[in-house]
Amino acid sequence: MIKDPAYLKILKTGPGTSIQDLGRIGFSQFGVPYSGAMDQKAISWVNHLLKNKEGDAVLEISQPGFKAQFEAPTLLCLAGAKTDCKLNEKPVSSFGLIPIQEGDTIEIGAFHQGSVFYLGIKGGFQPEKFLDSRSWYQGITGESSAKKNTLIQYFTTQEVPSITNSKAKWDTSGFESEILNVYPGPDWELLEEKSQKLLSKGIFTVSNLKNRMAIQLEELVPNSLPEMATAPVFPGTVQLTSGGKLIILMRDAQVTGGYPRILQFPKESLSVLAQKTPYQKIRFSFLKV
Amino acid sequence: MIPHYRLILPTLGEFVWNEAISDELLRFQLAIKSQLLEDFEYEIQETRIGFQTLSIVWKTSIPTSEITSWLESMPTKLMLKSLSEDCWKVPVSYSSSTGRDLKTLAESKKISVSDLIFLHSSVEYRIHFFGFLPGFMYLNGLPEKLHTPRKRVPDLNVPAGSVAIGGSQTGIYPSESPGGWHLIGRSPIRLFDLNSTPPVWAKPGDKLKFSPISEREFDSLIRHPKLPALR
Repeated sequence: MIKDPAYLKILKTGPGTSIQDLGRIGFSQFGVPYSGAMDQKAISWVNHLLKNKEGDAVLEISQPGFKAQFEAPTLLCLAGAKTDCKLNEKPVSSFGLIPIQEGDTIEIGAFHQGSVFYLGIKGGFQPEKFLDSRSWYQGITGESSAKKNTLIQYFTTQEVPSITNSKAKWDTSGFESEILNVYPGPDWELLEEKSQKLLSKGIFTVSNLKNRMAIQLEELVPNSLPEMATAPVFPGTVQLTSGGKLIILMRDAQVTGGYPRILQFPKESLSVLAQKTPYQKIRFSFLKV
Repeated sequence: MIPHYRLILPTLGEFVWNEAISDELLRFQLAIKSQLLEDFEYEIQETRIGFQTLSIVWKTSIPTSEITSWLESMPTKLMLKSLSEDCWKVPVSYSSSTGRDLKTLAESKKISVSDLIFLHSSVEYRIHFFGFLPGFMYLNGLPEKLHTPRKRVPDLNVPAGSVAIGGSQTGIYPSESPGGWHLIGRSPIRLFDLNSTPPVWAKPGDKLKFSPISEREFDSLIRHPKLPALR
């Protein structure tokens, strides 16, 4: 296959558009966060349908108002949030494969369900790798978010792929489900019974303080615990601040923290959480290791 | 000094020590870590150290019982290397222009600025682990006189290289960042360099000492960057 480099040109975008792969694994010993796609299930699905490598880089979009143009033919796969999506000004489904011709434009409008949208491409996007990963992160990669006129390299596929009307369906059931599986965190036992009960039975609300580092919940949980000696934290670690705020750490979170670590999301439910929108309700269902 | 082991997720485990933070504890943490990496080379994805913890990300889940019996065989097996005597000399320009909180901090401690600088730069600190930001070192050994609660309202913009005090800790901000610590000076040394392998010059277990330099030396080191000297 001839691999000619071509570019995706960003025509407009809101904040929070970035290139992500599965993340930067093995560098936390130097203080470098994982990064990588917020919805790891979606990136796997996209790359699977494109017959890409599992860790190929995709574009992660978390705001409406995105438009970009392709310089050369390729094949896309869309997944994640359900959005108003247009190819050359004409509405298309925001899930599944789309063949692209030279000069085609794609536009992402309103988000109807979910909050992170993925645009995967045949062979993956090709920005430079730093520390084994293409995931954009401030201070590690040259860029941390896409802006108007940002160019992102990919390889054009000369043969236009034939699309057998794929039966694979992007599962959107997680968007509505309120219940998220969690494990008790390392410091769960230190919580007062009252707080444990609240976390087990209570309904919580995703706040609008939500980014690639963390998602904060609206409700407060009484906390009389002292600050802890700094300890490792991971994507999915739920910290309880001294003010009683619940902070769920996401992919760009720092690798250590000083707040009690009261819950830990497994990878699967962290992907579901990543798609929650502000003001959506969630409840915790506890698993045992 | 034998820790307790527990699973957090099927593929995430943590060793916990109920011991005060010390060189001795760090010595055990590092010894257990290197033994683990040797005995479970193919099962471990990565390890992370905290002041009293050691986390293991497993590639596949390993039963707790296996780790518990591994731990039981530890005392005879463990090669307790002593911690490194290597001490990195990190130059710092302590002044009101490089550390905007220097004067107020000295005033709040009822000591002179030069006493504060002396207290901060006369002791050797132990590097425990990296965290917070790429290249940020968690140091132990700040003299108690200098312990200071973090700021109630964090600064939005702490310049890269800032040397600061927060709680019972002191550290150097490797990159520009928001932060709640009190800034007492700035180091011209780069703490994280993508073009080096590894990207940091020190390792957990090494020692570090701050050495006061003038603003003129600071400017010259910013223009002609150098790695810190080992002593």
